[in-house]
Amino acid sequence: MGHRRHWPLSLFLLIEIISILMPLFILIVWSLSGRWPWPDLAPEALSLRGIQSLLGGRFDILQVMFSSTGFSLVVAVLATIIGTMAARAIVFYDFRGKKLISFGSILPIIVPGTVLGMGIHVVFIYLGLSDTYLGVLLVHLICALPYTVAIMADITRAVGNKLEIQAQVLGVPVGKAFSHVTLPQLLPGILSSLSMAYIISFSQYFLTLLIGGGSVKTLAVVMVPLIYGGDRTIASAYALLFTLSSLIVFGLFELAGKKMK
Amino acid sequence: MKSRPLLLLTPMLLLGALFLLGIGNALVQSFGYIPAFHLTDFTLRYYEEIFEKPALLDSVVVSLEISIVSSVLATVLGVALCAALVYTGNVRGKTLQVVKLPILIPHTVVALFVIMVLSQGGLLARTLYALGLLNSQKDFPAILYSSSNLGIIIAYIWKETPFIAYFVLATMSSVDSTLGEAAENLGASEVRSFSQITLPLSMPAVTKAFLIVFAYSFGAYELPFLLGATLPKALPVQAYIEYIHPDLLHRPYAMAMNGLMLVVTLLMYGFFYGLARKGDKGIGESGHGT
Repeated sequence: MGHRRHWPLSLFLLIEIISILMPLFILIVWSLSGRWPWPDLAPEALSLRGIQSLLGGRFDILQVMFSSTGFSLVVAVLATIIGTMAARAIVFYDFRGKKLISFGSILPIIVPGTVLGMGIHVVFIYLGLSDTYLGVLLVHLICALPYTVAIMADITRAVGNKLEIQAQVLGVPVGKAFSHVTLPQLLPGILSSLSMAYIISFSQYFLTLLIGGGSVKTLAVVMVPLIYGGDRTIASAYALLFTLSSLIVFGLFELAGKKMK
Repeated sequence: MKSRPLLLLTPMLLLGALFLLGIGNALVQSFGYIPAFHLTDFTLRYYEEIFEKPALLDSVVVSLEISIVSSVLATVLGVALCAALVYTGNVRGKTLQVVKLPILIPHTVVALFVIMVLSQGGLLARTLYALGLLNSQKDFPAILYSSSNLGIIIAYIWKETPFIAYFVLATMSSVDSTLGEAAENLGASEVRSFSQITLPLSMPAVTKAFLIVFAYSFGAYELPFLLGATLPKALPVQAYIEYIHPDLLHRPYAMAMNGLMLVVTLLMYGFFYGLARKGDKGIGESGHGT
């Protein structure tokens, strides 16, 4: 292990870290500022006005936050189950069209959201799925699957199925062999698949707005008009809540991953 | 048990069918076939008009400019960031957690960051004013809502640079810790082992990451909607305006713009998929998928 020292690279890393953390810091300060007129570099006074607006606004924002979190968790769990199943098929079996499926599984990342959104919106209007939670759920699943399939295929390949087959040879039923032998080994992949799908669903704005009409109120859809509504202090408080609520759930997934090691 | 893989794939295939139905529908409508609106002739007219109307052609140029500039710069910076993480021994731990943050922050919030820092009343303008480099708010160049689209590009770079670094990290660190260090032990300089061994062997991951970032920034609605100029608008924003236009005869224009975006991203994908298959397996089988 020759640990090498590279001051230009360290400097670059430092600049990158500052440029990542600085806007977050500014966001926090702005959400706590009372007045911050040009050209001051610091706010004139601090105030809890922004934080209070989260509790007493037009929307019951905290309720939207919880229901939105729940919705994205459902997306994450379903996308991970479907991804795990597809990954097993792709890794352990040979069948016709396998190449086509692995080529096609990435397409929702490549195809622009507006193409998917407007095309599927018209289909959903015919099927009665527009303006419904089910419709939004289906679209979020389509967006999350390329990631969950790729993550689960990697770990499924790494874990293999030798032990599972051995258990089956020794007489363990197929389902039990999977749940007792393979599943525990897949857990790290399952956690990163869950958090990836969660973030994709939770931060989705355009597709939720289009497919959900006004009826599906996720935090992203409710937030955007509030964030870009004018008052910077209140906008910052909302953006801070939005950011924190996505980071907290992601952090919990990471924590669960660490606990298992 | 021949039906087993089919059974496992069924849910994904059903969603895939829905996906293809949506795309197919967009394409059919882009050729002017919408029986519900009494449009029943297949025609290339709407595509032709995109290239004939200067305002629409400008949208194409704007979108290409945003996506090419931001994804090339983000890729270069992202690879440098990845190398910085690998060579300073930060492949895991707190530093990496910070670097991952922008991946988790929604684009709709990133737009606010850019406004807070780079608008004419933003902190950069205030800092320059405090240093005496700026006489008034008005002297600060318009970065946001301007036809240069600089605000959008900067927002994408902020968000995508860490994405590229994180996407390439597993590949680069494993190549470096095996072949890269071996080359150095055999007397190659670090710069040489990086440029001739570690970087070339990491290229399949780099091209995949570039492709994802390019396709996203070319077709995404949020940032151009929140930070873009009134005119010309980026393709996804213009397409949505046509889509929700009260005059339903605008629908085929929206879909033709979508068709054009689809062609551009699929061509890129086909090109890179062809490239990737020479040296590596498909994208679905890549190292990691953030």
